[in-house]
Amino acid sequence: MMLRFRTPILFGLLTLAVWQGLVMATGIPEYLLPSPIAVLADVDRTLALSLGVTFLEATIGFAIASVLAFVCAILFVRFHTLEEGLFPIAIAIKTTPIVAIAPLLVIWLGTGWWSKIVAAILICFFPVLVNTVKGLKAADAEYRELFQTLGASNAQEFRKLRIPYCLPYLFSALKISSSLAIVGAIVGEFVGATQGLGYLIMVSSAHLETATLFAAIVAAALAGITMFYIIGAIEHRVVFWQGGEFE
Amino acid sequence: MSVVALAARSDVHPEPLVAIEDLEIRFDKVVAIEKLNLTVQRGEFVTLLGPSGCGKSTLLKAIAGLIPPTGGRLALGDANLRIGFMFQKPLLLPWRTTLDNILLPVEIKLGGSVVDQTDHIRARNILDMVGLGGFTEAYPHQLSGGMQQRTALARALMSDPDILLLDEPFGALDELTRETLNEELISIWQSSLTRLHTIIMVTHSIVEAVTMSDRVIVLTDRPARLVEDVRVRSPRPRLPEDAETLSVMKLVRRILRGGR
Repeated sequence: MMLRFRTPILFGLLTLAVWQGLVMATGIPEYLLPSPIAVLADVDRTLALSLGVTFLEATIGFAIASVLAFVCAILFVRFHTLEEGLFPIAIAIKTTPIVAIAPLLVIWLGTGWWSKIVAAILICFFPVLVNTVKGLKAADAEYRELFQTLGASNAQEFRKLRIPYCLPYLFSALKISSSLAIVGAIVGEFVGATQGLGYLIMVSSAHLETATLFAAIVAAALAGITMFYIIGAIEHRVVFWQGGEFE
Repeated sequence: MSVVALAARSDVHPEPLVAIEDLEIRFDKVVAIEKLNLTVQRGEFVTLLGPSGCGKSTLLKAIAGLIPPTGGRLALGDANLRIGFMFQKPLLLPWRTTLDNILLPVEIKLGGSVVDQTDHIRARNILDMVGLGGFTEAYPHQLSGGMQQRTALARALMSDPDILLLDEPFGALDELTRETLNEELISIWQSSLTRLHTIIMVTHSIVEAVTMSDRVIVLTDRPARLVEDVRVRSPRPRLPEDAETLSVMKLVRRILRGGR
């Protein structure tokens, strides 16, 4: 485990050292490019709190979107008419940039938690929906014939075949949408908020507190990476058969 | 017990187990099967032989009730007839162990209720029968192709079928594994441990058809029509190099090539 990370960590540290050296050697002002040490010095309670708020908004939005999308996907596959009627709407929502919708969300839902959560939901929903629909339909026709010969009901076919079969597809979507959730929450905070990483980024950039800005950006990146790895670890345990002969 | 079962097998019932008259199956404009007549008696091992894509799988699926006929008659001699179906691919569920995979038919039949101890014991016995006794907790990706297909056979037997429909069951395996599994299939069919008495198997191998079955049904290319119903009377076990088997194989090959 540690060995696997040794080389990337070494290179990361090297990059930071070069950066620090450059800043010190050139005397570039901090509001243009703060040194890594200056950024590190800006890690404080405000940053941790902002990260916590954004992470929570993103996680809640991600969770709600995932459940909603999963249920919708099952209904879409089960009732084709629903898919025909609602899929275009889902695509319309997807193609509208979240940045364009965010101000509306703030008008409707205020500057509190919900506008950010809904922004995260809107951005997470579509990838999960599309992949789950695809996964639920992915089982070979022959698998379905097998279930037919065994006299399986529709519900049994879903429970014992289609849903487990779709899990690899679901998880690859969850990995994508988990980091998108952070984007959604931050965009929501840009438009109107009193806390969170997005708010911190807006305020610190307005005040030219570039070190704080950098710290917030790094925190946002870390939040996305953490989400991604948590989902990846869960995937590894749940979809244990992948990587074998599974098609 | 075993004597009774054997006696039942040798005696030919007047009422056929599978009766097919003027069967026609078409998909849109493509005619897969046309004017096909075939009867299968209880206790027979019948192979359907023909070139790939000639519609023999379609015929098998029609007998299984997977594909509805568009014309003619297809009747099973007994409404309570239990059918086991085995595909060319193992079609195992990769998230289930061998044991859980073969318990699938029982779970589906029971609906919500839990599989009980009796079924577990039966499943283990069947796994022993197909030589997978030591692999109950293995996952499909840990098994070789032959073992996966053994699992699929065990699953088909788990429905406790009267009749087993096999669609080129070992076609994707190497020749040695395939021969072994064919022999085991014959011994399972002959054994009185299961209620299985009749087998209909699709194949495109003349050797397989002649060495295994009582009757070789030779079909034409699309649309499938019955060309010849060849009875193989030589005693089992048959070897491909036996004089009698060889002469039947020659005959079948000649029929397949068009000359009678």
